[in-house]
Amino acid sequence: MLFNSIEFLFFLPIVFILYWLISKRKLTYQNFFILIASYIFYGWWDWRFLFLIFISTLIDYIIGLQIYKNPNNNSFRKKMLLISIFFNIGTLCFFKYCNFFIESFIDFGNTVGLHFENSFALKIILPVGISFYTFQTMSYSIDIYKKRITPTSDFIAFASYVSFFPQLVAGPIERASNLLPQILSKRHFNYNQIVDGLKLILWGFFKKIVIADSLAPIVDDIFTNFSTLPSSTLALGTLFFSFQIYSDFSGYSDIAIGTAKLFGIELMSNFKFPYFSKNIGEFWRKWHISLSTWFRDYIYIPLGGSRVGTYKSILNIFIIFIVSGFWHGANWTYVIWGGIHALIFIPSFILGNNRKYIDNSQGNFTKKNNPFIFLKVISTFSLVTLSWIFFRSNSITSAIQYIKRMFSDFNYQSYSHPNGYRMIDYFIILALFIVYEFIIKDNERKPIPFKSKTIRFIVYVGLVLSILLFYNNNADRSFIYFQF
Amino acid sequence: MKKLLLKLTVYILAIVVSLELIIRVCHLYTEDPVRYIDSLGVEKRIPNQSGYAVTGNRNQNLSEFRINNSGFNSFREFNPSYKKKEIALVGDSFIEGFHQDYDKSTGKKIETNLNNDFEVYEYGYAGYDLANELHLINAYSKKFDLIDYIIVYLNYPTDLHRSKYIPDRYRISLLSSPLFKIRDQIKLLSYCSSIGILEPFKELAIDKENEVVENTENDKSEFLENFKKLLHAYPIDKQKTFFLIDSRITNTSFLNFCDSNGYKYIDYGKSFMLEKKSTTLIYDQHWNDLGRTIIADVITKKIQSIKSR
Repeated sequence: MLFNSIEFLFFLPIVFILYWLISKRKLTYQNFFILIASYIFYGWWDWRFLFLIFISTLIDYIIGLQIYKNPNNNSFRKKMLLISIFFNIGTLCFFKYCNFFIESFIDFGNTVGLHFENSFALKIILPVGISFYTFQTMSYSIDIYKKRITPTSDFIAFASYVSFFPQLVAGPIERASNLLPQILSKRHFNYNQIVDGLKLILWGFFKKIVIADSLAPIVDDIFTNFSTLPSSTLALGTLFFSFQIYSDFSGYSDIAIGTAKLFGIELMSNFKFPYFSKNIGEFWRKWHISLSTWFRDYIYIPLGGSRVGTYKSILNIFIIFIVSGFWHGANWTYVIWGGIHALIFIPSFILGNNRKYIDNSQGNFTKKNNPFIFLKVISTFSLVTLSWIFFRSNSITSAIQYIKRMFSDFNYQSYSHPNGYRMIDYFIILALFIVYEFIIKDNERKPIPFKSKTIRFIVYVGLVLSILLFYNNNADRSFIYFQF
Repeated sequence: MKKLLLKLTVYILAIVVSLELIIRVCHLYTEDPVRYIDSLGVEKRIPNQSGYAVTGNRNQNLSEFRINNSGFNSFREFNPSYKKKEIALVGDSFIEGFHQDYDKSTGKKIETNLNNDFEVYEYGYAGYDLANELHLINAYSKKFDLIDYIIVYLNYPTDLHRSKYIPDRYRISLLSSPLFKIRDQIKLLSYCSSIGILEPFKELAIDKENEVVENTENDKSEFLENFKKLLHAYPIDKQKTFFLIDSRITNTSFLNFCDSNGYKYIDYGKSFMLEKKSTTLIYDQHWNDLGRTIIADVITKKIQSIKSR
């Protein structure tokens, strides 16, 4: 079920009202209700894959308990952990990467003169959200193994934690240490929390429908026909994709976090205005936070992180970025995208600047340092935006040709919308969006922070009106990160 | 929970009222003049209505319409006589022309081209097919007998899906139902309907199994058969009636049939093909000003060639 579907429009209010009416008396009822709602939510897409979630849940539930019950038997604990990792990674590899490995093997064979027929490729449907919930269940077992958390014996609660529908299909990838204690405590109706949730949902829909969905046809047109378009248009396509993917994914995250709030659950923040970052290190602390912190905690730090000498640290950085790229999809373009980010990050790491703007969401835009910081923001944004070309292109060759064309024979030609709409409308709405994001950048969880009721009301009307003005009935409304 | 529901209701109502006001002030909504079926079974608009038709979410095309005494969108009244020269344009939304100001229509352009020697009557109605058009000419035969030239817009093959005229009373009663009347009164609803945001709700209500599956096989012969049957039911004056067609989309066997049976047609397809600029609107497939100019020029040339004989 998509957040922006008619089914969800009925599903959410029904589940919300029933949840607070029926299940307000007992925690078990609350969790059982969440579990049922989550399975309906997921099964609406394809009920067959509910079995996969259930198995994944069951395995990590048992493994978690077994690891915990044998604190002194390290060999057994390690075996249990390995089973969890092999099962989760194995499932992910089979559904997501199987054909990629087969095709890459065939391509390699053809390159070295061994000719294989491409008849091994399997018709595999990628289960929605598999990259997200496998990481969530795996981190649970790892955290118990590392003795960071204690497992729960309440299977319903654990299953609710794994399948909690607001974040099931595209994150945020929650840690048991944050979400499980909330699942294990009775939720109470909190008016302010629910209102905050509704505001986040509205803001998320605005980002998705007004920015992401309306830029999508332009981006698709430019990336499809790049070989015939002038460099100025290619630059526009790159810029628009940068905002499309940000609005699409952060919009989804806002709706997810907002929806969770309606049920008394606080999910972790996934985006903190990353395009206002002043260097790449800050960008990665603000972009897809749940994934980058997951890789940091479960890959980078176990590999030694930055405490193992410069060369080993650089290697670790490369590993984490390449793996992060590969996580996004079974295509070399994502690997290259990850590699580019590693290359941008390493100079900052060597110079010790990567942690410079830590926990500084405001960015100190004072009069004194304003132009300098502005340049840093622009240069970071430009590098990130250029790297998106690999992320968006179908192949590495296409991406390279796109970049070559964009930087050679620079010429300007006005671009016409593929459906003939006024382009100025998109520039205006994008400019307003950037200005508004700048105004609210102090707190990503309060997108409508104004104290004045009148201003708040004007913003509500403005957001709903914009949704109507930019709604595209023919748009592909799925979220980009659903494919990962 | 009570406080939440109460506040939500108040906020939603206030937002709806604000949006209604904005949509009215900015004229984001489109107007659709009321339709009816007259005593002769002809579908048309209730006479003497005026307003504005809007295309696109953001008022990308706004045009004024004026329904005349005869129930059609036109800059003039239809009063044919032997003393004057008249041309009738009969067709669907392309002739009705809600996507242009009523005084900049194809008919007006033809009149100007012909130095106002002719009066052009635009019998256009969105949704007309050939059955509607021929029935109209037949029902108003007294008027059409006085008209010098009749040009029937034939959009092949969409106008040839039926062989017999039956007025669409279901659509008329649906549009005049309380639900649609409410929709037309609440401009926010009207706007939401026009931009397609209500489509998912409509899809939920429609029984997909009962949707008509269009026949793709034997279409060509079926279209020609429908054409023959309609002309048999509603014979036309071959001397003064012309079909306005686009040869790029019209089947050759259909054109051959017309040629061999003395049915005359005016082809605008070749002129459109020669034009480098777009001949249709940005937001939909209807002719833009250039398209209408070309159509008017093609018809003018035809009329002038007949006059010069």
